Amino acid sequence: MMTETANRSSRGTEAFVWGIVWVISYFGARMALEQMGEPQPDLGRILVALVPLLPFVAFLWKFISFMRAADELERRIQLEALAIAFPLAMVLLMVLALVQLATPLNPNDWSYRHVWQFLPVFWLGGQAIARRRYQ
Amino acid sequence: MKNQLRILRAEREWSQADLSERLGVSRQTVNAIETGRYDPSLPLAFHIAKLFEKRIEEIFEPDGSGNG
Repeated sequence: MMTETANRSSRGTEAFVWGIVWVISYFGARMALEQMGEPQPDLGRILVALVPLLPFVAFLWKFISFMRAADELERRIQLEALAIAFPLAMVLLMVLALVQLATPLNPNDWSYRHVWQFLPVFWLGGQAIARRRYQ
Repeated sequence: MKNQLRILRAEREWSQADLSERLGVSRQTVNAIETGRYDPSLPLAFHIAKLFEKRIEEIFEPDGSGNG
C-alpha cells in the first residue's frame, strides 16, 4: 500500500515530468513554426502552435492533483510563491501597458510570446524564495 | 513558537522520515517544525500531541513574542 508521502511524491514527479514535456513541446512547436515560414492564417500552423497546450493541460491536471495531496507546509509554500509571482506579473504588465502608452513597443521584443515567459519564471522564483524560508 | 518535537522524536529513536510517515506530512515539514521555522496548524498540532501522548502545551510553547 502506498503511503501518503510516497503518493504525494509520485504525484509531484508526474507533474514535473509533464512540465518537462510541456517545455520540450513548446520549443519544438516554435522551431517547427519557424521552419514552416512566415506567420500566416493557416490551419496547419495554428494546430502546430497549439500542440504544447496538450501537455500543459496534463501538467495542470497533475499539479492540481499534487496540490490536493500536498501537506500543509507545501500548500503554504505554493501560496507564498503565488503571493510573490502575482504582484510581479501585475507590475510587469502594468509597466508595459504604461510604457506602451508613452511610446510604441517593438513587437519583436515585447509581444505575448515574450511576456508570458516571465510568468513561470516569477512563479518558480517565488517557490524558491518560499521554500528557502522553511529549510 | 518553541517546541519539544526534536527531543520527543529522539527519545523514541525515530528519524524525521519515521515521524513524517506517522504524521502523514513531508520530512521537510517535520524539519521546519523542529527548527521553529514553521508553526503547525491546530489539527496537525493535535495529531502530534496524540502521537506522543502529551497535551499540546507540553510540546509547544509561545516564544515570548506575544504572537505565538
